[in-house]
Amino acid sequence: MLTDAEIEIVRLSAIVAGWSVLASVIPGILLGWLLARWNSPLRGLLQGGVMLPLVLPPVVTGFLLLALLGHSGPLGKAWEAVTGGQIAYTTGACVIAAATVGFPLMVESIRLSIVSVDPKLEMVSRSLGRGRLATFLRVTLPLALPGVLAGAVLSFARALGEFGATIVLAGNIEGETRTIPVAVYTLMNTRDGESAVLRLVAVSVAMSLAALLAAGWLARRRRKGQA
Amino acid sequence: MSIEARIHHAFRGFTLDLKFESAGPVVGLFGASGSGKTTLLNCVAGFIKPREGKIAVNTRVVCNRPGGTWSPPERRKLAIVTQEPLLFPHLSTRANLAYAPGAADRLEDTSGWKILDVLRLKPLLERAPATLSGGEKQRVALGRALLSAPEMLLLDEPTSALDAELAREVLALLLDVKRELKIPMLFVTHKAPELMALADDCIVLAEGKLLAQGPPVQVLSRPRAIGVANLVGVDNLLRLQVVRHDEPGGVTLLDLGGHELAAPLSTADAGKHVSVGIYADEIMLCLEKPAGLSARNALPCRVLRVDAIDHEVLVGVRVGATELLARITPAAAEELKLQPEAAAVAVIKTAACHLLG
Repeated sequence: MLTDAEIEIVRLSAIVAGWSVLASVIPGILLGWLLARWNSPLRGLLQGGVMLPLVLPPVVTGFLLLALLGHSGPLGKAWEAVTGGQIAYTTGACVIAAATVGFPLMVESIRLSIVSVDPKLEMVSRSLGRGRLATFLRVTLPLALPGVLAGAVLSFARALGEFGATIVLAGNIEGETRTIPVAVYTLMNTRDGESAVLRLVAVSVAMSLAALLAAGWLARRRRKGQA
Repeated sequence: MSIEARIHHAFRGFTLDLKFESAGPVVGLFGASGSGKTTLLNCVAGFIKPREGKIAVNTRVVCNRPGGTWSPPERRKLAIVTQEPLLFPHLSTRANLAYAPGAADRLEDTSGWKILDVLRLKPLLERAPATLSGGEKQRVALGRALLSAPEMLLLDEPTSALDAELAREVLALLLDVKRELKIPMLFVTHKAPELMALADDCIVLAEGKLLAQGPPVQVLSRPRAIGVANLVGVDNLLRLQVVRHDEPGGVTLLDLGGHELAAPLSTADAGKHVSVGIYADEIMLCLEKPAGLSARNALPCRVLRVDAIDHEVLVGVRVGATELLARITPAAAEELKLQPEAAAVAVIKTAACHLLG
């Protein structure tokens, strides 16, 4: 069984992944909608920008985030001036790193599910007297909901596995930023760490598999719902 | 009720450029596919912003561009019903009907009950949209639009995705809606019988331009002359009242401008109107009434115009108040010496009078 320290690591990982999904779901819906319905030449550029963290090496993403949020970065300085604290090397930094890296998966899943909603349904809604926002909330979003949930689950799974950006932006602080991947890496370099590594690896595989199965089930529901 | 539109809009190699005014209350937009009728409807609905134009419904200006008013679709009070019913799949039938602002309240009072009654929607309320048949879905879509209390209903070929029998059923419902609920409509169709049955005024479009406007009988009675013969399918499309049936004789007698036209036996009751199509080729012209004729109809008429087009001659004649178009050869025209105002007799076989329902 897991030791108390390992349970703490799993708990921290779940909290970080959970918060990263919660923080990105509303911006994810907005961007997914924009990328699905906005007819502008700038759309391709925006899409590229959103997808960038998916293809950048996570360590590079972490470096860019640190340049922005570290104690000499512009946002980091501003935060320090207002709150007196810092962003980097906190649990919050873990959440930011995980959310950034998982965001493209979230947006893409939402975008695809919004694209598959028939725009004529939105037309009918508007001609029945419901404005753009009401139409989005009453028609588009409910019909795209399985895609939103699938995106949330996928980005949750991605957040659980996040290592590169996390280690750069948040470091490796026990109880604060030592999530499962960071802990596994640390334990691998520790004498007698093998059994703990195996246990954490097993938990990691189980959680990721469960998330993938859930995402697949939601994606099937999405297709069935539109058939 | 009235609608007034002046639109100039060009996109993707197509230009819509027209101006019309109509007092309706039911206006039919008629034309071939690609003539611009759906584009026009979408301009009225507010889904297409014309480059230049002014659109007013009941004198309320919904669009005046460039520079002026632009109401978004949700503020126009013009509910659209399209070919596909487009029910919201995540909502129940009842929730679909209650979708528009205020519709839930209307469902609970007499104005809503009347709509449910006319469209026979009560048995469908508790069923999921996915379990409804095509015709039932279209009834719900109509009900949903009417329950939004629109000033005018916009219909984009509401029967064309349905098979012939269901299309007749939906057309009958639209007639009930017109009669019972007195709601003005602007409807797009490429089916002449639908236009005849439903429209009070008819706008004919071709290649984005207004070709003709008037009551459907008038517009469609000379389809070849206004270039819609291929749409109408017959050259003479008439809306005639049933006078009586002669069952032993196998004919139904229709009132054609004071004369009786013998058509094949119909099931329509006396006093009702039926649509009759007659091809111009199937009308024979004689200078005087022939004797010993098997054809049941020999109608005295007066020649209105004689138009030679390529190797055929189109002769417009007037029987009572009705105009008919006959097609003859140049040789026959030469021999009969047909001139405007000349008296003639139009001979039509009973079987040539095609009842269109």
